[in-house]
Amino acid sequence: MNATIEKYTPKLMVLPTFVILLIISLVPLIYVLGISFTDSTISKPFNDFIWFENYKKALTDEVFGDSLVNTLIFAFVVTTIQTFLGFVLAFAMQRERKLSGVLRTLALLPLFTPPVAIAMIWRLIYDPNQGMLNYYLVKWGLTNAPIAFLGDKTLAFPSIMLADIWQWTPFCFLLCLAALQSLPRDPYEAAMVDGASAWYVFKRLTLPMVAPQVIVIFLFRFLIALKVFDLIYMLTFGGPGNTTQVASFYIYRVSFKQFQTGYGGALSILVLILISVLATLLTKGRELLLKRVE
Amino acid sequence: MKKLTLVLSVFVVLAMLLAACQPAATPAPEKPAEPTKAPEKPAEPTKAPEKPPEVSAAVNKEVCSGKTIKFLTIQPHNVAAQNLQTWFQEVSGATVELIVVPYDNVIEKAVLDVTSGANEVDVVEYWYPGLGTLVESNVLENLDQWYVDNAGWLKADDFFPTYFDTFTKIGNSRYGIPYDGDMHILWYYKPLLEKYNLKPPATWDEYLNVCKTITEGEKGAAYGCAIMGAKIPLILIGTYLNRLGSYGGSFFDANGKPVINSPEAVAALEGLVEQSKYALPTASAVAFDEALGGWFTGKVGMVEFWTDLGSMTDDPTASKIVGQWGVVPLPKGPGDKGKVVASVNAGFGVGVSTGSKNKACAFEFLKFTADPETAKRYNTVVGGIDPVRKSTLEDPKYIEFVGKEVADAIREAHKNAVAWPTSALWFKLQEPLNDNLSLALTGQKTPKQALDDTQKAWEDLLK
Repeated sequence: MNATIEKYTPKLMVLPTFVILLIISLVPLIYVLGISFTDSTISKPFNDFIWFENYKKALTDEVFGDSLVNTLIFAFVVTTIQTFLGFVLAFAMQRERKLSGVLRTLALLPLFTPPVAIAMIWRLIYDPNQGMLNYYLVKWGLTNAPIAFLGDKTLAFPSIMLADIWQWTPFCFLLCLAALQSLPRDPYEAAMVDGASAWYVFKRLTLPMVAPQVIVIFLFRFLIALKVFDLIYMLTFGGPGNTTQVASFYIYRVSFKQFQTGYGGALSILVLILISVLATLLTKGRELLLKRVE
Repeated sequence: MKKLTLVLSVFVVLAMLLAACQPAATPAPEKPAEPTKAPEKPAEPTKAPEKPPEVSAAVNKEVCSGKTIKFLTIQPHNVAAQNLQTWFQEVSGATVELIVVPYDNVIEKAVLDVTSGANEVDVVEYWYPGLGTLVESNVLENLDQWYVDNAGWLKADDFFPTYFDTFTKIGNSRYGIPYDGDMHILWYYKPLLEKYNLKPPATWDEYLNVCKTITEGEKGAAYGCAIMGAKIPLILIGTYLNRLGSYGGSFFDANGKPVINSPEAVAALEGLVEQSKYALPTASAVAFDEALGGWFTGKVGMVEFWTDLGSMTDDPTASKIVGQWGVVPLPKGPGDKGKVVASVNAGFGVGVSTGSKNKACAFEFLKFTADPETAKRYNTVVGGIDPVRKSTLEDPKYIEFVGKEVADAIREAHKNAVAWPTSALWFKLQEPLNDNLSLALTGQKTPKQALDDTQKAWEDLLK
């Protein structure tokens, strides 16, 4: 009797969590997968079973293809810069100095600001007629006329990236700081005794020890960046043209502006598959890299 | 790996079973409503009246007292909605809660409220091109009988024909009342035009000349025109329709066939692209806020905007150009087909949600909003609501409020109003048009290419 209780108790303890997770994650997933095989609209869910027609349409949809490319470029660029900046900032602020607490809090402010507020701040900064950025660019003679950062087909995407970097660098900073502060002190003391230079310590001790965590931070942030939506919605609505259209925003437009929820479901599943494949590849890449570092 | 494949296969089978087992829904309508042509016949009531029509719009306190209703409205009409909220609460004893959403989200919010079963909303303020979608999604109550019952005081023939059918009617039935009549007219800032001895333009060629002259003369200190070209359907398609209609083009022909790449339509887009080169930078990123920012600060010579801009401009707390503006109808297009039009860009109706939990009181709110006397009240305070009734436009109090010049311009505009389509398919159709207009405006496609691509996309969607 006791053996049976001992055997099943852990499973029973986990059961509520398992059921809740099942409901909140798998049920919607099965629902979306279900409607992706239908010609559903928002008012007619599961309208006409059409097999793989939505998937066929998605694979020939140029706008969707472009939005996927935009998503990957966006995620890779911002994640690389944010991880680098976050690490540099964390490295600079890891030691306790005067005002370091205040500086850390200030550095984290963008992370605590609601995305809508961040978008509004950057929209005001970029405004060609009353924006701060154009005011100084013109005042300092760097440009003759104001620049429409969000209306220019070449500048719009980098402008959104800049806002995203400002918003998310603190996330990388915070995690990098935690990683750096968790490193063992003994190797550093030994290096000091041996008279190692600061650069040598960084290259031979800090970097190898912190690399596994930094790669995980990159991976987390990359996966989050693939889902960017709020800044696009608030700053450019995917324009000008389709230059800033990313996959999540396109899915939103298809599902909630054109009300084609069946097709939107198929696009969501394709993006999910893409993200899963990327996550697997990145995880494998991390393992290979760690082996090399070791 | 085998386990993963097995699990995935189970999901796919489950999902396909789920999809395949659902009952088939009713088919979608095959073609869109004719966009620029108002239906010729008035709505036919579905039932004969069982009781004499109400002669008074007085609110029935009994059905509202102590009740709470929720009014879905758009952010730009928040002040007007607050007025309605206060006034209705005073006469009905009900509590009105406002649900305020961005103007481009109101249709999806209304649809999701009903289709999700949330049923929070009692009364819906809707953007009229979404009417077909709302009706198809069964979001709005049919008002045929309501119109019959309230004919005595409602005076439906007092509504501008431009708005009445377009804002309320799908097929032979009505689903709302006209609430905000939103047409574009051309506003100009007198000091800038006078500085260059320019007259307000009567044609689009003159418009280009005025815009170019001021922009080149001011060297960045001001611009001849602000063109709202941000990639939002209401904004960008509205700006294009101002030209499309006046060049003699339309979205569809009389048979509902797309004609968006007609020579007139291409010429209208070429005109827009050319004008945008001299507009407040940069047209492709200019929406309400940017255009108004330039206008209120005297940095813009001309702006195509709604008829309430005068009262907003004369508010010294918001504007630096109080009393220094003029207004004329939109410019005329070139050639034989060219004409002066007024595009009904935006425009809102009000209806009762099928998901309303306080339907009786919601209908009282509808009645209160439709009352000609209430209309006069909300049309004579700053709040973004433009008249939908002829009597309001002729009301001395309204003329005093907006100024004779504006009232005359509105009266003139009604002679050649062009409206957006209201078919349930329109929300699918407007997206490729919006994309391609934006691509043309940013030079990524030629106007011809952009409209050819739109035509193809529309033909595919309408197959």
